[in-house]
Amino acid sequence: MGDKTDVWQGTLSLMVLRTLETIGPQHGYGLARRIEQTSGDLLQLNYGTLYPALLKLEQEGFIRSRWGTSENNRKAKFYELTKAGQRRLKKAAAEWNQTTAILARFLEPAEEA
Amino acid sequence: MRQLRALVQRFLGLFGSRHGDADFAAELESHIALDTEAGVRNGLTPEEARRQALVRLGGAERTRQAHRERRTLPWVEALWRDVAYGFRTLGKNRGATAIAILSIGLGIGANATIFSMVSRFVLRPAPVGDPTTLLALHTVHEGDQCCNNFTTPLYRDVASQARSFAGVAAYNELVPASISGSGEPERVFGQAVTANFFSVLQLPMVVGRGFVGGEESAPEIVLGAALWRRRFNSDPNIAGKTIRLSGRLLTVVGVASPAFHGVDQILNTEFWVPIGNEALPAPALADQNSRNFHWLAAVARLNPGVTRQQAAAELDTLAHRLAQAYPETNKGVSFVFEQAGSLPPREKGPALLFLTALSVVVLLVLSIAGANVANLLFAQAASRQRDMAVRLALGATRARLRRQMLIESVLLGLGGGAVGVLLSFWSTHALSILRLPAPVPLDLSVRVDWRVLLYSFALSALSGLLLGLAPAWAASRPRLANALKGEDALASRGHRISLRNFLVVVQIAMSVVLLCVTGLFLRSLQSAANIDIGFQSHNLLLMSVDPGVHGYTADRTVEFLNQLQQRAAVLPGVQSAVVTDVAPLNGGHRSDGFQAVGATGNDKSNDSTELYMVTPGYFETIGTPRIAGSDFGSETAAGPSVAVVNQAFVQSIFGDENPIGQRVSGGGVTYRIIGVVGNIKSRTLGEDIRPVLYRSLKQTVASNPSFLGYTLIVHTSGNTAAVAESVRRQIHALDPAMAIYNEETMEEHVRTAYFLPRLAAMLFGTFGLIGLVLAGVGLYGVMSYSVSRRTREIGIRMALGAQAGTVERLVVRQGMVLTLIAIALGWPAAWMLAKMASSFLYGIQPHDALTFALVPPFLAVIALMACYVPARRAASIEPMQALRTE
Repeated sequence: MGDKTDVWQGTLSLMVLRTLETIGPQHGYGLARRIEQTSGDLLQLNYGTLYPALLKLEQEGFIRSRWGTSENNRKAKFYELTKAGQRRLKKAAAEWNQTTAILARFLEPAEEA
Repeated sequence: MRQLRALVQRFLGLFGSRHGDADFAAELESHIALDTEAGVRNGLTPEEARRQALVRLGGAERTRQAHRERRTLPWVEALWRDVAYGFRTLGKNRGATAIAILSIGLGIGANATIFSMVSRFVLRPAPVGDPTTLLALHTVHEGDQCCNNFTTPLYRDVASQARSFAGVAAYNELVPASISGSGEPERVFGQAVTANFFSVLQLPMVVGRGFVGGEESAPEIVLGAALWRRRFNSDPNIAGKTIRLSGRLLTVVGVASPAFHGVDQILNTEFWVPIGNEALPAPALADQNSRNFHWLAAVARLNPGVTRQQAAAELDTLAHRLAQAYPETNKGVSFVFEQAGSLPPREKGPALLFLTALSVVVLLVLSIAGANVANLLFAQAASRQRDMAVRLALGATRARLRRQMLIESVLLGLGGGAVGVLLSFWSTHALSILRLPAPVPLDLSVRVDWRVLLYSFALSALSGLLLGLAPAWAASRPRLANALKGEDALASRGHRISLRNFLVVVQIAMSVVLLCVTGLFLRSLQSAANIDIGFQSHNLLLMSVDPGVHGYTADRTVEFLNQLQQRAAVLPGVQSAVVTDVAPLNGGHRSDGFQAVGATGNDKSNDSTELYMVTPGYFETIGTPRIAGSDFGSETAAGPSVAVVNQAFVQSIFGDENPIGQRVSGGGVTYRIIGVVGNIKSRTLGEDIRPVLYRSLKQTVASNPSFLGYTLIVHTSGNTAAVAESVRRQIHALDPAMAIYNEETMEEHVRTAYFLPRLAAMLFGTFGLIGLVLAGVGLYGVMSYSVSRRTREIGIRMALGAQAGTVERLVVRQGMVLTLIAIALGWPAAWMLAKMASSFLYGIQPHDALTFALVPPFLAVIALMACYVPARRAASIEPMQALRTE
């Protein structure tokens, strides 16, 4: 395996929702940095792909955005979770946990043997 | 749900795209700035920090693009750009666009008009609650073509025994009455219905309610909305008021919805009364309860969950059971039904044939128009080759170019559709004013409804697509090298041009078919005008009254008519006045089978004789020649019945024997023949001569009163309008409440009888003319295009010494070869199709020699004219200039 891995299809939005839940309203750059940090810098995130993903979440009503000012006084667009987004996150996280748990059962014995 | 929301957002994004772009550009800028600052904090130079920020982003432009695609719907945007571009292109060629839109508009207009008839008479459900579960029931006797009404006992059997139905209602289809209200009394037609009629129909009411159970003979009435508006000023409080109908006082309980004038949608009835009501001129009770007297129409409401198959099976069982219980009347009788509001079963066949024939014709017209426009588009495609080639060379895909071309042709189609719908608004209005010759009120109005709009829209989009296919295909495959050099890129190997020729041949061939049909109908109208109707129509005034619906007894009716006739006869400007029941050419009246008294079986009998009632002097007044024997005049009301018959009657029963003094019987009455008169057309213009028997009015009113009232015929010496006024005054002097109807001159009356041939000639004449114009324009277009393409070739020919005449002949020959091929194809097709029209033709054969001989040369002349103009232009080409053109 290489040092860094690409973001798997479909997991980016879950990461975005989770990150927004943890750190509250954040702008695109901050989100991208935070996702990289959370992954322990194992993820190779192409920042450009973050924006269409944010737009999609916004169109679906899971997040909303407004212009604000960053910590170093720069105008930036901030994203925050909506009620629907919180519900979505809860559901998606549960599904994801279940999937990984199932997959883990398949993979564990093989490694032990 | 979330996807839908996103879709809506993206769709809305289409409209704010500029704002969205700016917004995202700002966001991206702030992102890069933040990232650059972070880099600078880590010790990079600002330039390097910015470079790395851009790398991490994966390119600013690419990000913008991805964001933009997510923000809006890219394919809608592209489509929108193509549509806008299409509008600009069409706007540049105003002339061609106008011709194309007009062509398609004529085609679509013709189709929309005919389809509005289909929609009205075939597709429209009855305006009742849940029309799909309402069935019209009929009885049918073994071996008969179709259908009969119900008898009262049979209706009761079905209503009480059939479990498939939630309710069965019956009604007498046509009841004449005179109605009071504001203004002069008026004669109107209504229906007598069982009390459950309105609940079975689930009819929405404008005011009040329908009848309810137990009101079988209540003195009540439901008004039609039109009658309510016309006679009672749409009085919203009319429920509970009493009105006078045929002299009886009836309480209004409700007003039916405006769309409703009877279940079958063709009869135009305007009021409904309970069937047991005394105000009706109903048959005697003994008749009403007989198992032989078929006088009720029936409708049934299916129980929820019961299929039509189940209902049919149950009715079969019931018919079987009834046949055993009443073998005399019910043996071999079964039930049939169709959805209520469909065309009456008897008229269904011919009506569908007529509509099919018309639909075929209008589709032909549309095809001709389509071929025309396709050719125009071809010419345009040719002139746009270089444009297309440049776009291809710059990297546009062929699919994109084809889509562009198709969008343009669909725009043309839709534009034509809009013009067509406008035309059909006008044409349906024109059709709706035509009056059908019938003694009863019919509603045959057609309108452009939503079905017609939907059909026109689909048809115009489809034709736009179809006629654009070939040119789009051709235009998207120019031979690049040729096109960029400005040479003809479509003409390679001659294939594309032969497709154009093929189109024009098809177009002319279809015009041949259309012109032949048109010719047949025009000839039919012409020969209809020469039909001998057996009576004259000048200076005759008709005016009808129906004393029966005013409560007159038979004696008083005869007395009234007698006085009226005498008063009218002595008015200034009147030569003679007579009374009959119904004037001839009435579309169908009464008839009975007749046989010679003493004869048995089929010997000396006929199946159907038309019956009329007349007063003395009738034949002289309307100009039917008296041939033998005497006129009425000497008979007495109570004396033995006498009759005057026409020659066809004599022929059918007595052959060459002298009929005067012989006795014949029909309809339960025996008549002594006292005279013979000439033949007339009794029902329609197209009919074969029918046997007719005239009865004495005063001997007949009591025993067999006229259902349709009585008609005074006045022979004036000129000023008919003035006489009409004084006759009206005489009628109202005799009875101020008497309703007068069907007031018209005999010429007007006869003109209505020309309804069918006139309608057919009008429709086909219009379509034929449209087709001819379109074909002419089409041929002209093809030839001028051909000439403009061959400019250089013609220039070379002339430079080499060809004469102007030779060049002209060259062009004309090319056009005429196409025309001849087209005629050779179209003529046999027309010959075969003509048979379909035969049942609508009067007095000419479907293979009418004159029509089929005249159409080809006529079309050839039109084609010659269409070719001549381009030929002249070819001949006037200056060789030196032509050689210099590209």
